[in-house]
Amino acid sequence: MSNIKIAQISCGTEYSGIQSEIENAAGTVGGKMVYPDVSYDDITRAVDEFGFDPVSPQLKLMIARAKALADGHYDADAVFIATCFRCAEGALVRNEVRRYLQEHTRLPVVTYSFTERLKAAQLLTRMEALVTIVAKKELLARERQVGITAGIDSGSSTTKAMILQDNKIIGKAWTPTGEVMASAQEVLDQALAEAGIKFNNLEGIGVTGYGRFLIGRKLDANLIQEELTTNSKGAVWLADRQRGEATIIDIGGMDNKAITVRDGIPDNFTMGGICAGASGRFLEMVAKRLRVDITELGALADKGDWSKVNMNSYCSVFGIQDLVTSLAAGHTIEDVAAAACHSVAEQVYEQQLQEIDVRQPIIQVGGTSLISGLVRAVGDMVGSKPIVPENSQYIGAAGGALLSSGFLEGQ
Amino acid sequence: MKIFIMPPNSLILYDLVERFGHQPLSIMAELRDRVTEREMESPPLNVTLKDVTKGLKYAGIEVPSGVRGRMAVWGPLVDEAEAAIIMHNTPFTFGCVGCHRTNLLLMHRIRKKKIPTLEVEYPEDEEEGKIMVTKIKAFLEGLK
Amino acid sequence: MIMIAPTSELTPDQLARFIHGLGYEITIKETCYGANIEGDKELIGKIVPEVRKLDPNRIFIKVRAYPIGDERRCRAHHGSRPGFNQMEKEWKDLPFIEAGLCAAEGGEECPEKPPRRKLSVEKLMQIAEEDNR
Repeated sequence: MSNIKIAQISCGTEYSGIQSEIENAAGTVGGKMVYPDVSYDDITRAVDEFGFDPVSPQLKLMIARAKALADGHYDADAVFIATCFRCAEGALVRNEVRRYLQEHTRLPVVTYSFTERLKAAQLLTRMEALVTIVAKKELLARERQVGITAGIDSGSSTTKAMILQDNKIIGKAWTPTGEVMASAQEVLDQALAEAGIKFNNLEGIGVTGYGRFLIGRKLDANLIQEELTTNSKGAVWLADRQRGEATIIDIGGMDNKAITVRDGIPDNFTMGGICAGASGRFLEMVAKRLRVDITELGALADKGDWSKVNMNSYCSVFGIQDLVTSLAAGHTIEDVAAAACHSVAEQVYEQQLQEIDVRQPIIQVGGTSLISGLVRAVGDMVGSKPIVPENSQYIGAAGGALLSSGFLEGQ
Repeated sequence: MKIFIMPPNSLILYDLVERFGHQPLSIMAELRDRVTEREMESPPLNVTLKDVTKGLKYAGIEVPSGVRGRMAVWGPLVDEAEAAIIMHNTPFTFGCVGCHRTNLLLMHRIRKKKIPTLEVEYPEDEEEGKIMVTKIKAFLEGLK
Repeated sequence: MIMIAPTSELTPDQLARFIHGLGYEITIKETCYGANIEGDKELIGKIVPEVRKLDPNRIFIKVRAYPIGDERRCRAHHGSRPGFNQMEKEWKDLPFIEAGLCAAEGGEECPEKPPRRKLSVEKLMQIAEEDNR
């Protein structure tokens, strides 16, 4: 599909030097940025009706443009809402406009809080997701898997495969990512063996993650899709939360993701970490220093009290120094484990969750969601206990298998 | 004299300053150089990353990028200005003048500079139009 | 960018034809509100006073950032840019400025209105008490 019209509702993009990048990103994935036309009188009226009168006029214009879309006065396929990072007024309007559009239209929306240091890959993923949501709308509406399908998630640190049959998991496997295709083949073979079926029995294959294009081509997959929409679908399917709002948090080995979804469709996400101090890798280092296996760290942390240990470093190196000092001062390894989990959760909260509006429930996924102490720490931070679905590390693979089955019906 | 106008993209102020014999320092002329940069294959819209970094002269890193980017364009114009006219309560400041925070900072910089500055209200009817224009005329003529 | 106030009898078409008639080598584009002209700075400097003479208090001029027909600013191409609404409002209010220019020309005295002050607490209390009776 070409030229999907993406309505831009924003403040500050042209003065942050990123407007051309936005338009380029849209062009790359077959979209085109458009600006809903409004007249001066529409703006005054729209702000009145909306009931939020921001001081900055450009934000008033954002409201009027959103209303033009909602009232059907302007035609677009998707909406991109963006304001400057660190602008309070902008953040309020960005979120209220996002909610308003989701309540009053069926248009897919992504939001973005940017700085001049635009993360091009993140922007592209957002645009690609928007275009995917428009172009594959029917496919994304799928909530039940049918037939026998496989999903492969080729991540930067691990590769996962999952086989589903009639909405049930019948095989799964993971391995650290080495050579992309070989790793994918390995986990697929293992998952097939567990399921007790042959490759030829598969009726569909969905591939996501960094290596999706290579693997997709080699295996002749019927679905090759970015991880934002695929992971979201996988997470809400695994957690059985297909309807309503949710926030998906994935604290990874190297980087972290937080995705907000509505009815399983993502509308915003944040990705990346400031430092390894806020990642699963730090917890691995802590486990090693405490001489426990990483799988035991969570249970240890559950027994400890984080507040007894001073650990709030933003760096894994200094974080480990804090840990050494605490142990030397006679703190228990339980307290130290709890402090490490708390420190990671706190940094994810402060550095990343700020960029999105956290919505309940929280679905925590990824390998680190198996560390109970970390899940508890995240829960303390966001104010409610996260849901950790079974097989939470397989969201991408589950999403791939679920969505690829969408091509089967009607055949 | 070089007159900084606020809002810097106002047709009304630009016209009046030029009409009464002074040089309006126009944001539009500044932007024109940027958007028509011939050496660049794809000229940026309004400002580049480099501009936003230059804006650090006027506002710190903790300030949103859109504020710094705007200040990068207007700040140097204020530095250059010999006099200024500020029009308050303009109902239409969208786009480049759409950020109220930037506008506040800009006004502060103008006032701090202690150059001859006239502050007027945006007119809502003919009577107010008369008050504003006669004040601006008197101010500009007084500068000669 | 040349704008004709809504009170003027002059049409964008007449304006554009007048500028064409001056015979300078510049680009002229008629718009809904007047015309945009583009070309050598010196030439533009010669044209501006001539244009003003057509209807001095109802023609307004400023520099525009984007060149004529620039797709990035083209309304037909992807909808209007924010500055459009500003021009729309300023254009509507040009008659106020016209009134001001006429007053300035005629040397009319235009005393400023006293600024609005907030009601004093004493006065407000007095009103409330009267209302209570």
